[in-house]
Amino acid sequence: MDNKRKYVIPGDLVTTGPFRPEQNVLLEGNKIISTSIGISEIYDDSVRVIPLTGKYIPKINDLVIAKVLSHTSLSWELDINSCYVGFLPAQDVFGRDFSAHADELTSKLKTGDLVAARIANFDRTRDPLLTISDRDLGKIDSGALVQISPSKVPRLIGKRGTMIQTIEIATNAAITIGQNGWVVVSCESTEGLLKAKKAIQMVDEKAHIANLTDQVKEMLESESES
Amino acid sequence: MASHSVIDELKKTQILELLDQEKRVDGRALDEPREISIETNAVPKANGSAKVRLGDTEVLCGVKIQPDRPFPDMGDKGIFICTAELLPLSHPSVETGPPQPHVIELARVVDRGIRESHMIDLSQLVIEKGKSVVGVFSDIVVIDYDGNLFDACSYAATAALLTSTTPKWTMVDDKPTIVNGEEIPLPTTTIPVSVTMGKIGNHIIVDPNGDEWDSMDARITITTNSDGNICALQKGGNDGFTQEEVVQCGEISVRVGAKIREKLKEAQQGSR
Repeated sequence: MDNKRKYVIPGDLVTTGPFRPEQNVLLEGNKIISTSIGISEIYDDSVRVIPLTGKYIPKINDLVIAKVLSHTSLSWELDINSCYVGFLPAQDVFGRDFSAHADELTSKLKTGDLVAARIANFDRTRDPLLTISDRDLGKIDSGALVQISPSKVPRLIGKRGTMIQTIEIATNAAITIGQNGWVVVSCESTEGLLKAKKAIQMVDEKAHIANLTDQVKEMLESESES
Repeated sequence: MASHSVIDELKKTQILELLDQEKRVDGRALDEPREISIETNAVPKANGSAKVRLGDTEVLCGVKIQPDRPFPDMGDKGIFICTAELLPLSHPSVETGPPQPHVIELARVVDRGIRESHMIDLSQLVIEKGKSVVGVFSDIVVIDYDGNLFDACSYAATAALLTSTTPKWTMVDDKPTIVNGEEIPLPTTTIPVSVTMGKIGNHIIVDPNGDEWDSMDARITITTNSDGNICALQKGGNDGFTQEEVVQCGEISVRVGAKIREKLKEAQQGSR
């Protein structure tokens, strides 16, 4: 597998042949061409490019952290750190019997509020539809927001969640990671909060380095000693 | 920025909670400006220029000096005009197009600080009274935005003017013509320094950064001259200042301004 991975830029030919194009590649004839800067990966029957930079592109079922920008009488508009604006219908929050006359949207969510939401629907032709009607979703009342690059989110989670578990255990913080690169850290002690924030920023800066989990662990341990 | 960016409530609460303990999000004291770095002669072809970094806010100012027709009612004085512009690369919320009201305000506040302090001795910039005078045009572009453009732009314009040199002109055949020879420094009389203070809750903070800028209730920009006298003032935001607060702001602007003036003097001497 490893010998098939290479760095590509938009327009680069990744491979030719009967492959299924997945994320960030185009199929032209039998040529597969990258559409972003990243690392190409060729599997048995498919090809994809893992981006190294870029804005968040919504995917159905992704958990995102969103910020309320404004609202109309029927819905809220949310910033999801993307080129698309998230769209949260009032019915999702008030329930089926929502009435535009009787219910005031700002009573539930107002400009500047942060929410944990899931992408309910998205097909690139319309703005992504969000939902907060699920367990663990909804308005975030406490904690601090850390912003990292959306392409570094998998690194922050780590293989089977190892990286994030390391940080959570060492700092006693509860960390909610949005796929859009926004992360909410809440911790009872200020010290733990700052440490967790520092660790997350470290992952963002050093995402390309191997053995990062060990480095983060080391940093967290050395901090707690001092 | 300003008009479009929305700060999240959690950060706003955090800023206010910290201020209640006399602390700020970036660890500064309430009356402490961010680190200032001034690089003069950043644009080699301009008559004078300066690149100023105030924390993560970065602006560039270039000065062009050229003969111009005087204003009809001010034939015995040179011209000074200051403009400002935000580049779209400075912040995600900045778009191209005609200047927004807050950018117009920015240019006016910077212009006023320099004009009302009489920093440039405009009476020395006359080539022929009523016919031709020297025009000084200072153009500012914002490269990176992280709050408090007023002060960053003001320091850039002041540093650029302090290090500007101008050729000499005389009238030949009714046209201003350059006299060959050395260029002389622009005649300046004082160093104006603006200090912008924000009000969040009941706290007055100096040099608000981007997050503080988005969460403040009111702001006041006070410009002082080298003698420590206030020569220009601009208030913005929806909330107000009490009489005591205005006096307090005045005192802060003199005290903090004096330290920043030393930095501007250093920049001026460093470029010679």
